[in-house]
This record gives sequence, C-alpha cells and structure tokens, in this order.
Amino acid sequence: MTATAATLLLRADAVTVQLGGNAVVQGASLTLRAGELVALVGPNGAGKTTLMRALAGLLPASGTIEINGRPIEALKPLERARAIAYLPQGHVFHWPMNVAAVVALGRHPHADPFSRTAPTDREAVSRALKATATEAFAGRAVTTLSGGERARVALARALATEAPMLFADEPTASLDPRHQLVVMDLLRRSTRAGGAVLAILHDLTLAARFADRVLVMDGGRIVADGSPANALSPAQIAKVFGVDAISLDTGEGMVPIARHPL
Amino acid sequence: MNNPNYRNLKLNAGLAVLVAALAFLSLLVGPAALSPRRVMAALLDGEGIPGIIVRDIRLPRTILAILIGGTFGLSGAALQGLLRNPLAEPALFGAPQAAAAGAALVIAFGLAGATSFAVPLAGIAGTMLAIGSLLAIAGRRASLTVTMLAGLALASFAGAMIALILNLAPNPHVALEIAFWLLGSLQDRSYEHVLIVIPFLIASWVTLGLTAGAFRALTLGEDAAASLGVDIHRTRQAVVVGVALGVGSAVAVAGAISFVGLVAPHLVRRAVGSDPARVMLPSALAGAALLVAADIVVRLVPGPVEIRLGVITALIGVPFFIAMILSERRLLEGNPS
Repeated sequence: MTATAATLLLRADAVTVQLGGNAVVQGASLTLRAGELVALVGPNGAGKTTLMRALAGLLPASGTIEINGRPIEALKPLERARAIAYLPQGHVFHWPMNVAAVVALGRHPHADPFSRTAPTDREAVSRALKATATEAFAGRAVTTLSGGERARVALARALATEAPMLFADEPTASLDPRHQLVVMDLLRRSTRAGGAVLAILHDLTLAARFADRVLVMDGGRIVADGSPANALSPAQIAKVFGVDAISLDTGEGMVPIARHPL
Repeated sequence: MNNPNYRNLKLNAGLAVLVAALAFLSLLVGPAALSPRRVMAALLDGEGIPGIIVRDIRLPRTILAILIGGTFGLSGAALQGLLRNPLAEPALFGAPQAAAAGAALVIAFGLAGATSFAVPLAGIAGTMLAIGSLLAIAGRRASLTVTMLAGLALASFAGAMIALILNLAPNPHVALEIAFWLLGSLQDRSYEHVLIVIPFLIASWVTLGLTAGAFRALTLGEDAAASLGVDIHRTRQAVVVGVALGVGSAVAVAGAISFVGLVAPHLVRRAVGSDPARVMLPSALAGAALLVAADIVVRLVPGPVEIRLGVITALIGVPFFIAMILSERRLLEGNPS
C-alpha cells in the first residue's frame, strides 16, 4: 500500500525520551508519508503516547525528528502547529463553549493577530464540521454532547487545522462500535486528500482493518514496523501482548482476534 | 461569526454604561448632601466647597473603585482561564493576603510613607511570590484539589505573616492603622493614590489582555493547546506577572478586597458563551461595576463608623462562592482534573 514515491512528511531517527530519569522511549525510528494511515499499537506503558508527544514537538527528545526535511527544533511553535494536528486522549473540553467555537480553535495556528476570522478559516471550520457530521449541533455547548458526539467534535477541531499530519491518541477509546468505525473512517478519508495519520490504537482489529502500516511498541522500543499482516501476526501478538491470538478472514482481509492471556 | 462579536459589543457597551451610571451615583453619595445638579456643576467647574467634595474627595475614590474593581475582575478571569476552573480567584490563592503582608511590612517599619511607590512594589512582590508558588505547587496538571489546597496553605501563610507583622509592629498606633487598612477601604484616597497605582494597573491589563487568546486554546487542555502553538510556559508566567502587578498594587492602595475576581467573571460568562478569552473585558467591566456599587453601599449604611469595603465584598462574595461550590459539585466530585 505504501507508495515509496509519496512525499516523506516526517522522519524520526533514534528518538529517545527521558521522563523522570527513565528512558520511556528508546531509539525509536520511523517515517510518515503522505497518504498513509499508520497505527501505533503496544501494551499499556509501552511508551506510545510519549513517543507521539515527542514527535509532535511537545516533549524534549534526543535523536532526530524532521518535519518536511527540517529539524523540529528549527520550527516556530505556530509553524509546527500548522504541520501537525494533535488530538490527545480523552476529548477534553474544560469550558461549555459551543461546538463551532471549539472547532474554530483548530485554526489557531493560522491566526492572523490583526484579523480574527479570515474567510479561509471559516471555510476550513465548515469543512471540518461537515466531514464529521457535527454541523447539526454546531451551536450547542460541547459539554452537553454524548461521548460519540464529543469524539467527533474533537476530531473536527483537529481536522480544521488542515495540517498535513494528524496525530491521534486513542481516538476510538470509550466509543461504541459504530462510532469507532465512524472515527476510523474519518481518519481514513483524511489521508485520501494527501494527509498522513498516526493513530494510537488499542483495538488490534481496527488497526489491522484500517491501517496501511502498523508500528508495534514494547518497553519503549519499536519492535515491528510493517504491513498489518506482518506486524500483527499471531506470533508477534503473543510475544508483545502476551495473548494467544488467531487471524480470521473477514472477507475484507485478515484481522487478528485475541483469545486468551498466555 | 459576526453575530457573537456584535452580541459581545452590546454586552460591553451595556456594562460600560452601567459603570458610568454607578460612578455618577458614587459622586452623589457622602455625608454632605449635594443634589445631582450641584454635583454635576461642581464636577465641571470645581468651585467652592462642593467642588472640593466632588473633585478631591469623591472623584478619586470613584476612580480607584473603577480601576481596582476592573483589575480584580480581569485577574479573576485570567486565573480562571489559565486554570480552566470557574472557582479560581486571587483571594483563594492568598494573593491579596500576600500583597497585604508585603505592604504592611513596609508601612509597619516605616520603610516608606503610605503613598510612596515602595508600598505597591512590596504588594506586587508579595503577590508574585504567592501566585508563583501556587502554580509551582499545583504543577502542570493543576488539578482542582491540589490548586485549592495550595491556595489555602499560601493564604494561611500570608495570614500568619500579617499576624507576625502586627505582633512585632513598633507601636500600637501603627498596628491599628494596618489592621484597619487590611479591612480594605477607599475612604480618604487621593489622586496621589491613583497616580501610584495606575502604571502598575495598566501594565497588568496589557499583560493579561495579550494572554487572552491562549486561554481559549487551553479549554482543550495543556497538551492540545501546546500543539496549537500556544507557549504554555510563557502563558503561565504572563498570568503570574499580570495578576501580581494588578492585585499587588491594588491591595497596596485599597487594602485587602476579595471575591470580586470570583463573582465578576461568573456574572458575564454565560453571555459570552463561556469563551475564556471573550469573558475578559466584560468581566473587568462587571468587576468595576461591582466595586463601585459596593463602595456606594458602604457609604449608605448608617452607623457611627463606615463599614469597610473589603468586609462588604467578603460578606457578599463568600456566600456566592458557597453557592458556586454547590452548583459545581458534580464537576468537583466527578472530575478531579
């Protein structure tokens, strides 16, 4: 699936992150190309979120991280924000602002301090609302929405930046099966326009079905990087997650099913 | 998108008219009974006894109430924006108490006269210490419980420092003077007081005003805000400095006045759709209106001694705070961050 000709958006080499004296991420190397949906999987505490935050420039890290060929430290915060949209875990909204105002926050990296809302911002916001089917409650306070609706609003906020890269940390956590599929489908679609998505997922079935490539982390290291069939083989799953798994053919490809702990 | 801007403009204009009306009312109130017409005339020509009463006694007091009330409203809104918490208020974090401790130290030991720049500077230093320690103790996640406990500790410590200063005050007269000043009052303030606070207040407004945009992004949490290009570290520093400049200098001139920063943002929040940046200006105006109104009430209550302004704001503010705790209880119990 990965077109080698596709533009290289991000290259990370030997990234190590120290948190409180522990090397939470050790020597992680990876690439992200235009049009790719890459799943980052691994057991709890493997360092997935830490790696993602480091790649997004939110944590100091050693090693090299290059965005469009430029070292991440050389980018100004707003430049970096225009290149990478980051959707953290939990879909947090502290104030009961209305949905349209929340989604408009995604335009912050583009903000011109002298004119608050340029027409391009308004268009990007309405595109994001439309893509996530959140227009219907654009005027409602975000705190009054259900979990699935909030997840879509959170995603709309990240999409509104229209950054070439979107990093999503467990975008499907605590969502019902339908909304998990809706969110994965939205991520999939956003790569068709030439963007790249890096998503932390706990559901290996979703990872296998939607990702072009899967990165498996264990104990701070990337231990596999390849197609879902290779990276999520029953042998690999047994080794990393400590569960017995089988591969089932859904008719749309093979997906792993975890059966019982080893 | 134009609609909320227009609504905001209407809200701010309405509040500005309210402040102006209350300010005029404030010029009418005092022991000397003067008709509105005579007050107007005295204000314009400044002649005779009414001129002195209106221009030199009532006007500086009113100006200070507007400036200081506005500063408290703005500081409260800024702290709430930074901490993403509608219960944040400078007084709950020991800010006025710390400012009072700093200023009392200077006054008690005769280091400077009450109208020198040293008093607001000491107040600012005290506040900066309190708010800076609060943010340092509360840490990055700034959970409500830790923030409130840290505030309690700092307020208690500042209280102990004040008690120590009163305890060690070189003579009882000075101790009594400090005790009265601690209650908060705008009685007998002059243009000198206005002049020594105004540079600090303007610096505070500019600092906090320039930070407002960051509060909006912070509604998504610190990580998401940082990913949108907001410099979290600088935002925190700006709030510490802005609140310290405002609250520190205001307390140095008016004594400890609390809870305006809690009440003012709450009154206008719904009207601005809970937007933590848009709430700033209306909150400042509401704060100004509240303090001018409180300063009118103080002069209208009959009695041999004028009730102190800080006493009134606390008497109104604390029940209001309790009501807010009750209405936010679900949030406080369910969602610790």
